[in-house]
Amino acid sequence: MKKRLIITGGAVALVLLILLFLWKPTVVIYGVQRAGLYSAIAIPMGLVLGIVHIVNLAHGELMMVSAYLTYFLATKLGMDPLLALIPAAVVLFGFGILIYRLTISHTLKAPELNQLILTFGIAIVLVQAVNLIATSQPRKLSVDYVTASAKMGEVHFGIYDFVFVALAVAILLGLQWFLKKTKTGRAALAVGQNPKGAQLVGINVDRTYMLVFGIATALVGVVGGFFLTKQSLFPAVGGPFTMKSFALVAMAGIGNLPAIFFAALGLGVAEAFISSFQGYGGWAHIVFFALIIAVILIRSFRGGK
Amino acid sequence: MTGKIVKSTVLIVLLILALIFPMIAGPYPQSIMKTVFVYMALALAWDILLRSGQLSFGIAGFYGLGAYASVLAVTHLNLGGVSAVLFGGIFSALVALLLGLIILRLRAMYFAITTLALAEIFRVIIRNWKGFAGGPDGLILPSVVFDGAPVPSYLLVLGVVLIVIGASEFVEKGRFRFALTAIRNNEIVAKSRGVNVFTTLLKAFVLTSGLMGMAGAAFSQLYGFVTPENTFSADFTLLPLAMALLGGIYGTWGPVIGSLVLGIIAEYLKLFMPYGHLIVYGIIIILVILFMPRGFVGLIRDIDTRNRSGKGEDTKTSSSKEVPA
Amino acid sequence: MKGLKTTGLTRKFGGLVAVDSVDFTLEPGRIVGIIGPNGAGKTTFIHLISGVYLPTSGTVELDGRDITMMPTHERSRLGLSRTFQIIHPLENLNLVENVMIGYLFAKNLKKKEARAKAENLCLELGLDRLERSVDQLTVLEVKKMEIAQALATEPSILFLDEVMAGLTSEESFALIDFIKRIGAEKNLGIGVVEHVMGVIKELTHSVVVLDSGAVIAQGPYEEVAKQSRVIDAYLGGGA
Repeated sequence: MKKRLIITGGAVALVLLILLFLWKPTVVIYGVQRAGLYSAIAIPMGLVLGIVHIVNLAHGELMMVSAYLTYFLATKLGMDPLLALIPAAVVLFGFGILIYRLTISHTLKAPELNQLILTFGIAIVLVQAVNLIATSQPRKLSVDYVTASAKMGEVHFGIYDFVFVALAVAILLGLQWFLKKTKTGRAALAVGQNPKGAQLVGINVDRTYMLVFGIATALVGVVGGFFLTKQSLFPAVGGPFTMKSFALVAMAGIGNLPAIFFAALGLGVAEAFISSFQGYGGWAHIVFFALIIAVILIRSFRGGK
Repeated sequence: MTGKIVKSTVLIVLLILALIFPMIAGPYPQSIMKTVFVYMALALAWDILLRSGQLSFGIAGFYGLGAYASVLAVTHLNLGGVSAVLFGGIFSALVALLLGLIILRLRAMYFAITTLALAEIFRVIIRNWKGFAGGPDGLILPSVVFDGAPVPSYLLVLGVVLIVIGASEFVEKGRFRFALTAIRNNEIVAKSRGVNVFTTLLKAFVLTSGLMGMAGAAFSQLYGFVTPENTFSADFTLLPLAMALLGGIYGTWGPVIGSLVLGIIAEYLKLFMPYGHLIVYGIIIILVILFMPRGFVGLIRDIDTRNRSGKGEDTKTSSSKEVPA
Repeated sequence: MKGLKTTGLTRKFGGLVAVDSVDFTLEPGRIVGIIGPNGAGKTTFIHLISGVYLPTSGTVELDGRDITMMPTHERSRLGLSRTFQIIHPLENLNLVENVMIGYLFAKNLKKKEARAKAENLCLELGLDRLERSVDQLTVLEVKKMEIAQALATEPSILFLDEVMAGLTSEESFALIDFIKRIGAEKNLGIGVVEHVMGVIKELTHSVVVLDSGAVIAQGPYEEVAKQSRVIDAYLGGGA
């Protein structure tokens, strides 16, 4: 029953995509590229939400911090950003663990409200700290390989952004492998499903939470490095990604990482569609948020009774 | 009984101080107080909804809606400054009523993030609505309220804050408090004792949002302009939140104390730290949640109970770890 | 018909049938025990009657009126009340304020009136530390407060979900006396979920035995307790 629904839904979506592609090919291409970026950022949030059961409202901001780190490594030391993101991700891993130890671990037993407010506060501190250190002046790296483009019939389009799709797929596959095949990953899954039970069979729940939070932070760190190669940076750049990531995770259903990719696909294409009409680009955000609310509501109604 | 008399005396003295403040203080402290009052109204309005357990990150959204509505009411409906302030509040309340019918089925993180998204949606709509709402450039009033006369405009903001305090106390002293507290503790228990959870939440959401809209309207009438970026600025969510938390949530006096303390500190902070002074609010939020989740008011209560229950007994002092459930 | 009646009441969770076409009646003035092994569906059954869950099929009637789909708060206003197995005292409200809730919202009384009635009810139950904050109450006080809170909606039908758990036998007997007295005084129909069979024996006019969600026996306690199916359910299948 459920399987049939997924197959029919998938088939309908595919047909719509193909039709859209014939009508407005760039919408589909840019939509898919956006979906790559969105899901690459959202999947680590889904990991934290699914296992630590914490909504990290500083999620997009951590990506921003990593992008700045990469930026300074690239400009001061002359590293290629795609190389510089490796040390940045390592730093972010440590940073994630620090944040977990110093703050989040102390509010795990508190009501959800406290956790939300706490991570909201962390987000503010990150944005403002970067604002103090690096000012709010936008920064951009010019990297020559990002301008690579391809031509399909009449249509010209950039191909570098497909790197985000690859990144998202790599993160997803990597995490699936980690969660299913490694001992630590399986323990993490068990903790996510039933922390008390996991504790009883001897899994160190606190350490698992810390590790998962660190891994998720390191992953957004990697995404931040890639983000820098394409977009300009300013302290508030991460905020919308926090919201969008949460929306995608909520749409996909908490604990369902692969579905995040499909949720992102829908939204990426919808955004690209609106943006393709001249002069309506500014409304793209609103489509996104309207969709968020609609989908979260539908889910909550269905789960309600 | 004596406690009650002391309390009301203090309140009356404070009220008189607030009323004669423009006569004893210069224009600069007056303008600080006006800003503090606007934040106080927001912090307290936010707390009213929080008493039901619903966390809103959409303060700036309803604040901004009220601000825009009141400016438009002056330019399009020829309303006077004071009635435009009320109009802003009513408009925000009406929008909250319509949205509340839908989003109040959400709880916890879903509700919190939806309110955050709503604030963003309002901003995006107004930014893109060039003809009517002025688009990215915003709107300018032909003249500010009372032509900028300092004392009446001070009294206008004071009036707004007194309305919010009045509303909060009305909630605290009446049966509404019982409904909100019951819902915050356990919705199923609340329902089983006859509380209509949805209606109660809707009332609280409409009230909260209307008060926020009124605060925004007052601010826009004072300064005479609104823009999407300034009026819907995240500061209007962040500062009230930090203020209410620092003072202590779930009651009238916590947010009032918190906004006075933090609002006045904020003014000096701006002088010493023109950029990025907001970091201080972020740090305060984190520290309060970690070490003092019940704020100043909770701290005072703890000391009070400790003094009453004798020295040896350490009844509720460990409650810094305890959560404000 | 006065009282509560369920017909074919069923609730499924996925593939699991938690409550399986239960026919049940509770008349005013009667005390009926609902017993069964752990996981038999007793608490789910109360959730269905009070509207916390909606049934997959079947109906719930109160005084002849179909209330199957009625919201919980409206049921409580019609005179259907219950206690909770896991008690959640309302923090930030003191003892008497916890009890006032029912008078305020189910009976729609003014605050003053609600307070006066709540104080009386508390004193009747032997609760005298009225202004105490709930985190400073004893287990017995919390249990009694829970019962008072449920009674404060002035019900005609009341379900008690393991109110004796955690009490000494002396305390239990005092509470049994109180429940019997209040039931007779106010002509209440009372449904009692309890694990301690001594309590059931003392308190009830008849019992209903649930196993895997279905009724496997009913009648006076002495008769039901002899039935082999009941003994099997408790000893054999156990869980």
